[in-house]
Amino acid sequence: MSAEQRGAVDRVEIDAPLDLAFQGVVRLVVGGIAEQANFGFEAMDDLQLAIERLLAETGSEGRVKISFEFGDGVVRTRIGPLREGRLAAALQETNGDTATLSLARILSAVVDSFGVEPATDGQIVVRLEKLGLPRP
Amino acid sequence: MRDHSQAGRAARQREDRELLRRYHEGGDPRAREQLIARHLPLVRSLARRYAGRGEPLEDIEQVGSIGLIKAIDRFDIEREVSLATYATPNIVGEIKRHFRDKGWAIRVPRSLQELNAKMSGAIDDLTARLGHSPSVGEIAKSLGTTNEEVLEALEVGSAYTALSLDAGPAGSDDDSDPMETIGGEDAEFERSEDRATLSPALAQLPAREREILRMRFEEGLPQTQIAERVGLSQMHVSRLIRRSLTTMRAELDE
Repeated sequence: MSAEQRGAVDRVEIDAPLDLAFQGVVRLVVGGIAEQANFGFEAMDDLQLAIERLLAETGSEGRVKISFEFGDGVVRTRIGPLREGRLAAALQETNGDTATLSLARILSAVVDSFGVEPATDGQIVVRLEKLGLPRP
Repeated sequence: MRDHSQAGRAARQREDRELLRRYHEGGDPRAREQLIARHLPLVRSLARRYAGRGEPLEDIEQVGSIGLIKAIDRFDIEREVSLATYATPNIVGEIKRHFRDKGWAIRVPRSLQELNAKMSGAIDDLTARLGHSPSVGEIAKSLGTTNEEVLEALEVGSAYTALSLDAGPAGSDDDSDPMETIGGEDAEFERSEDRATLSPALAQLPAREREILRMRFEEGLPQTQIAERVGLSQMHVSRLIRRSLTTMRAELDE
């Protein structure tokens, strides 16, 4: 039964190694959640790409917590806490310069909104919101 | 007729040799691009021999084009052999190595291989028929399988993101690849000194992948429209985007 049929918002959390070998696991989880949110293939692929690129910027050591809140046509994702490091720089838009392909530019194209929240010990949590396209 | 064909082949070989000379002696990158474009039909022809083994033809072509580029780069212009003759074992070798290295036939159940191969066409057909990007459930229904198997099969396809992007384009099944006409509009993308951006690594990508990234992230086109423009399936566009970004990140990390 999908989130739409239940008319509820559901929540899933995962705590995964940042190692590349686990990317596929994360992608599968995101795919399953996107299906529950009644996303089409393209919206699902966009969300998978957003999370994949974010994790790629955080390095491959340690672990990461990812939480999803989802209902019909929407998935809200929180990733972190993460070390600020180069991730914060990558999330900076480059003065509106369309010639650069920053992480911010990529996220702008594939999710509907994203933002950063401060966490403890100078770490950050990245928020993503992805809406599925209206379906007939 | 036969004489004409032989004359045509001879003329083509002379043109190849001139392009190879321009590339190897003059360092002309345009000559290299022309050589790649001229020999993509050979790649497609060889790739078709390996179709039906659970991997989309367009991916096999992509791998084969790596062999073509290696052949062009390694060609000794003093040797009296045509580029096509020299490139053929390189292309075939690259394709065979790909199948062997990825262990596709060993690690992935045949049912998933076959499902993955069907997926690309199914997504495009459903998109056209339904008027929206199909959900996993809709894909599963059209293919007579479960949502979980569709997700697994999609993941199987994603396992190829580690493929080298040194290659030129993968093409469609048609002899004329629409992507061959794309490119040359990406000079702006190549300028950046910012470590936080991926732009410097863009220059390492083939022009066609750069163009797809430009359409996706500068023009903001959805995959479906990009797929229409370049004549590839939506799933293949998705893979190219993912591979390109992964390759660019790896370039910056080296």
